[in-house]
Amino acid sequence: MADLVFATGLSHAPGLTGWLDQAPEHEQKSLVDGFTRLGDMLRASKPDVIIGAANDHVLNMPIHDMHDFCVGTADRWEGPAEWFRDWVNVKPYSVKGNAAVARSLYDGLSSRGFDTTSKSDLLFDDNWSVPLLYLTPDYDIPLVPIHMNCVVPPVPAPTRCFEAGKAIAEIIANDLPAGLRVAFMGTGGLSHDPGGPKYFDVDEEFDRWFLAKLEAGDPQQMLRECTMEKMVAAGDGGTSELIAWIVAMGVVDGAAGSLPAQTICYEPAVALRCGMGCVYWDVTTADAKEPAHA
Amino acid sequence: MGIADTKRELPSNRMVFDVRRDPAKYTDFAERFEDFMEEYGLSEPERQAFRDLDIKRLGELGVHPYFLPQVSRLFHGGAYNHNNSPSAKAYGKSVVEGKGRTR
Repeated sequence: MADLVFATGLSHAPGLTGWLDQAPEHEQKSLVDGFTRLGDMLRASKPDVIIGAANDHVLNMPIHDMHDFCVGTADRWEGPAEWFRDWVNVKPYSVKGNAAVARSLYDGLSSRGFDTTSKSDLLFDDNWSVPLLYLTPDYDIPLVPIHMNCVVPPVPAPTRCFEAGKAIAEIIANDLPAGLRVAFMGTGGLSHDPGGPKYFDVDEEFDRWFLAKLEAGDPQQMLRECTMEKMVAAGDGGTSELIAWIVAMGVVDGAAGSLPAQTICYEPAVALRCGMGCVYWDVTTADAKEPAHA
Repeated sequence: MGIADTKRELPSNRMVFDVRRDPAKYTDFAERFEDFMEEYGLSEPERQAFRDLDIKRLGELGVHPYFLPQVSRLFHGGAYNHNNSPSAKAYGKSVVEGKGRTR
C-alpha cells in the first residue's frame, strides 16, 4: 500500500547541461526556470523513492540481447559513466538505489508477462544525469531506474508501455511497503533525431501535438493516435523515447485515473538538437478516481 | 537508413557498444585503432569507413543510428557538443540534409 505522490515526464537531452549557453536567452530561461520548478514540486511531494523509466540508449543492453525493460537493482548508483562525463558536463555523483523496490518491480513486471531483465551495474549517461541535476541536485532521493529499449526494433508499442505503467501502479499499490511515498518520472524526447538526417532539426508541430494530447487527459485517444510510426516520423533515432512518458501516463492512470498532464515548459531547442520540455500530473488532485489499491 | 536497418550482429556495433562502456577499451581504440578493429572482426568496408570517418557509410553498413554521432565523438571528443563543435560538424558533413530548423 505505497502511494504515488508525484508523476512527471521530462526531456533529458545533454545540451541542457552541456551547451545550454548556445540556446537563445529566452529558451535558456524558460527551460531552467521550468525544470527548476519541476524539481521544487517533486521535492515538495517528499518522495521516499523515485522510480524512473528512460531510454537505455543501447548502453547497457546490447543490440543482440535487447529487452523491453531492464530494472536497476543496485542499492547505489554512480554517474555519469566516464565516457559521457564531459559530454553531459555533470560532475560525478552518487545516489542511493532501492534493491527491494527494484526486486518488486522486476518480479511484478515479469510475472505479468512484460519482457523484463535486471542489472545491478547499469551505466548512466544523459538519461539520468541530466534530470537528476535539476530534480534532486543534492542526490538525496533514492532512484530505481528502469531502462527501456526505445530505439532497437521491435520497440515496445505505446499500448504495451501504457499497460506496463498500469502494472507499475499496481505494484506500487500492492507490493511496496505501506506508507512508502513514490514519485515516478518518464524521461526522454521530445522530437530529436540522433543518428539520422534530421539531426539538427526539431519537429515543433509534433511536440506541441504530443503535449496537447497529454493535456487532454485521454490516454485511449493518445494511444490511438501516437503510433510508433508517428514518433519515428518526427525523428527516427530519438523521438520514440517518449514511450517512457507513455509509461508515466499509465502509472498515473493506474494510480489516480485519467488525469490531464500540465505542461511546465516547452522550447523547440534547435541549439540543443531536441524539443525540450516537462510536464507533471497532479496525482493528489481531489477528483481523482479511487486508486488501484487491492 | 534508420533504426529499422540496423544489423544486430555487425562487429562495428559490438565494438562501439564496448568502447563507450569501458575506459580501458576506449584507450585501446584510440591508441591502436587498426589492431582493435581487427580484434573485433570488422569487415574491410567497415574498417575503411572508420578510417575515413565516413559516418553515412557506417549507417549504410548497418551501424545503429544512435551510435553514429557517438562515433563522431569517439574521434572528435564530446565536450561542449554544440552544433558547431568539431564532432557535430563532422557528423553533419557526412549525414545531414537539414541545417537546424524547426518544422
